[in-house]
Amino acid sequence: MRETAERQFADELAALARVDDRERPPRWRLSPWAVVTYLMGGSLKDGTVITPKYVGNKRLIEIAVATLATDRALLLLGVPGTAKSWVSEHLAAAISGDSTLMVQGTAGTPEEAIRYGWNYASLLAKGPSREALVPSPVMRGMAEGKIVRVEELTRVPSDVQDTLITILSEKTLPIPELNAEARAVKGFNVIATANDRDKGVNELSSALKRRFNTVVLPVPESMEEEVGIVEQRVAQLGRALEIPAEKPAIEEIRRVVTVFRELREGRTNDGKSKLKSPSGTLSTAEAISVVTSGMALAAHFGDGRLRAGDVASGMIGAIVKDPVQDRIVLHEYLETVVKERDGWKDLYRACKDVL
Amino acid sequence: MPDDVAILGVRHHGPGSARLVRRALDALRPSVVLVEGPPEAVDLLGLAAHADMQPPVALLVYDPESPSDAAFYPFASFSPEWVAVRWALAANATVRFIDAPRSARADDDSPAPDAPRPRIDPLEAMAEAAGFSDGEAWWSKLIEERRGDGEPLAVFDAIREVMAALRADSTLPRDADEDVREAFMRRGIRAAIKEGHERIAVVCGAWHGPALTAAARKERSAKADDEVIASRKAVGTARRKMAATWIPWTYGRLASESGYGAGITSPGWYEHLWTSGDRVSERWLAKVARLMREEDLDASPASVIESVRMADTLASLRGRALATLEDLSDATLSTLCHGDDAPMRVIERGLVIGERLGAVPSDAPTVPLQRDLAALQKSLRMKVSADSAVLDLDQRKENDLARSHLLHRLLVLGIEWGKLRPSETRSAGTFRETWTLQWTPELAVRVIEAARWGNTVADAAAARARDRIRTATSLDALAELLRHVLFADLPDVVEPLVRRINDVAAVGADISSLMDAIPVLAQIARYGNVRKTDAELVEPILHGLCVRLCAGLRAACVSLDDDAARAMRRRLDAVHGALATLDRADVREMWHATLPQVGDDAIHGLVAARAWRLLLDADAISADEVAIRLSRALSRGNDPAAASAWIEGLLAGSGAVLVHDDRLLSIVDAWVTGLSTEAFEAIVPVARRTFATFEQPERRMIGERLRRSLPVAGGGAPLDESLDPERVALVHPILRLIFGEPRS
Repeated sequence: MRETAERQFADELAALARVDDRERPPRWRLSPWAVVTYLMGGSLKDGTVITPKYVGNKRLIEIAVATLATDRALLLLGVPGTAKSWVSEHLAAAISGDSTLMVQGTAGTPEEAIRYGWNYASLLAKGPSREALVPSPVMRGMAEGKIVRVEELTRVPSDVQDTLITILSEKTLPIPELNAEARAVKGFNVIATANDRDKGVNELSSALKRRFNTVVLPVPESMEEEVGIVEQRVAQLGRALEIPAEKPAIEEIRRVVTVFRELREGRTNDGKSKLKSPSGTLSTAEAISVVTSGMALAAHFGDGRLRAGDVASGMIGAIVKDPVQDRIVLHEYLETVVKERDGWKDLYRACKDVL
Repeated sequence: MPDDVAILGVRHHGPGSARLVRRALDALRPSVVLVEGPPEAVDLLGLAAHADMQPPVALLVYDPESPSDAAFYPFASFSPEWVAVRWALAANATVRFIDAPRSARADDDSPAPDAPRPRIDPLEAMAEAAGFSDGEAWWSKLIEERRGDGEPLAVFDAIREVMAALRADSTLPRDADEDVREAFMRRGIRAAIKEGHERIAVVCGAWHGPALTAAARKERSAKADDEVIASRKAVGTARRKMAATWIPWTYGRLASESGYGAGITSPGWYEHLWTSGDRVSERWLAKVARLMREEDLDASPASVIESVRMADTLASLRGRALATLEDLSDATLSTLCHGDDAPMRVIERGLVIGERLGAVPSDAPTVPLQRDLAALQKSLRMKVSADSAVLDLDQRKENDLARSHLLHRLLVLGIEWGKLRPSETRSAGTFRETWTLQWTPELAVRVIEAARWGNTVADAAAARARDRIRTATSLDALAELLRHVLFADLPDVVEPLVRRINDVAAVGADISSLMDAIPVLAQIARYGNVRKTDAELVEPILHGLCVRLCAGLRAACVSLDDDAARAMRRRLDAVHGALATLDRADVREMWHATLPQVGDDAIHGLVAARAWRLLLDADAISADEVAIRLSRALSRGNDPAAASAWIEGLLAGSGAVLVHDDRLLSIVDAWVTGLSTEAFEAIVPVARRTFATFEQPERRMIGERLRRSLPVAGGGAPLDESLDPERVALVHPILRLIFGEPRS
């Protein structure tokens, strides 16, 4: 369904490698400068145009690349929809030429996913041996000197998280069963992504935190940027899900994004009054899902046009995560902002109906 | 003749420039150093070498007749001008300020005293064009990194050439005073030459460099310069005698964000650059780690090592040989702070800007604020004495009102000359104030410190209040400040303060502080202030606060202990009273609709009962409803403590009301008389707790009221017709004696 980053952008990576005459850290495919260029986009001496993979502050990408170049592990923090996984995949593709060494973190991620497992048939037949050992992506990355990605690190149980400590500080992985250890080759490193604002996360231990350099990826800076992202993603999703609705009016998207941004930032867009922020994250990803579910509602139960009523319930569901505090926040917001704003009467009424 | 005057064009407050100036002076060893600075202050230059002089300090040049006409010239230890002055004093060279005197400057109507010279920094502009985050980064890239290439004068020549090119570009904005100032500077140089000095050094802003060279001096003759100066003097206001003094300055005020025109973004970082000779990154990050540990944040030496490596890698990735503040901050953020912004703000405040306060020797001349205060003390006939004295003020008298304003303003400035007696603290309705006055030597220091806020007591108090508005984060502090500001009569500050209260209230979920703020705001809305606009400004904000209060009141009233409930009851009273004085029916309706929410059984009795009571007072509910609530709350199965809290909430502090309010009295009375004997006995101890708090006369009056309004039936049992009146008359006196009824 979807190509890996290193295949999709193979031309750009090759072009960068051609013009890149700067010093490369051991086993890096590109120099740090070229990696930053790959992520941020630009045009090369030979005329090749590199498309931007990350829209936002260049400083953040510089910090991320410098971190990996100093042999420190990188932790990308941010709410959903801030392109954490996207950035980590492209970093791995540009540095190691391979973005497939990946551990997906869930509440059920076992230690074996980070260390190694056993092929039990072989284990029973031959006893503990190298052949019976099934290496994890981390172990493979260590052997090949490549970047390993750990997605959603904070979802992983704390004791499993901490198995990373030895790997990151000693760059070795002991195998007591064989009385041996796997040593990392230069070029090995870890990029973890995590979401620190959601509920149901396992806070990283201080010991583990100290082994990472942290880069916080912010939500889109400007209103226009965010509206653009939502519109683009909604259009893609709408096609994929085959929702028979009209393309949603840009005004309705703008309104949803405005509400999300205002509550997230704790002030109105004109900067005139301050607001309380709800406990939820109100990420761009959630705004996208509010608009898509509104479109589905409009298509199947309405006249096919996205209206205030279709987005209201989705929006309230995204905002009110804590039934007491968030309800106060929303109530205040509706009364002090939405009610007064020109042309927002329908949204006000729709929200009041749902509440 | 052409080469004996060295023009050292600098970046104001640039440590790189300062270092270069020092090396140039060491190489030149001039006999006279001419500095771009106010000539009025030339007599004060000697104090710069004083042992007690600790930068940051500022030269204050002001008109003694009207102190608000003043200009500040700040110096930090890393300012090239400061370095030049100190060098000259140490080398026994003559040092002079050669800028135009303030009286010849056109910007007499300059907006704020702390924005003396709004100039463009051309080096900053060039750094930006070259893609650097600040001028110092660019400077250090171009000049500092070539340290050891000898000849600092060659660098200054190069800077002058760059500036000459920039000056040729007529699109750049010019300072209106530029001509006349450069005429003065040239005149200063000519005077020094005429005196026979052979080696002359001029330290001035890089921009002026090309206008001061021998070539420029030739092109613009002494006569032409004299004409420019003369014409300005004719246009300008009559020549005034200006006074000057040194005052302590702070890095915060040196930072450009505080409005100072030639300000810099990071005084603390510059000082670091100036004082640490080598290993700049390592020393800086060690400072960062120490500050973090002082703030109880985790900062291990291992992390410091990692951040140094990180900063160096970032610098090389960004094509720099040395790490700049930007690289160091990025490294600190990702390594030491784990991506968290909050500790970064601590570092920003504590290190990047720095919290240093300068000091000046005690023999420096006095500041305008001192003079203004002395003048006020004289005109208001207030004696300055080291002994404690009591001052009674009647605010209806004009003189006393002015005295009260002065004392309150001084309090805003942190000059605690007078202390308000707590017992007589002024409430909204009274006009008396009692102060204890005592002058201590430390107060003189406070006055000097406060001088940086303004030159008159009123200006300074307003500026200080504005600063506190910016820094205060809690609603309590702001409401308290608002009270001070009202008493200190600082009308200009009210508006920003009220707006800030609105902003803080919007995010602060603390309902109790909201409730504390509402009465103060209502007072402004009701009585206004000097200006009528205050009320218009406050009303919408007050409305917003009430909306927030009503949205969150119930949540704030759940699970209160006794003390918290007592405080909440008082707040309910205060808010209710405040809203009742407002002419806003919509707000009142909202409030009345909210009160029943806190009246149910889940809420502490004190609060719940008070809510019903307030509604009853406002005629918003019927007496019957309150009666039902009362008997429900006091029904037998209930916890006696809770029941007593309910009575207290309903009646506390209102013994007198019970005397005069028929409805309330009849509710309570109906309830008591409706109780069965056992129930009454059970309730007596509880009821007593409340009634015991009433004053003795109040209790007696309640008793008398009850007897009068409820004639014979007061006894309970109806008269028995079968009794023989004569025989009753026989025992009547004894009964009277027993029941204590007065003889009729």
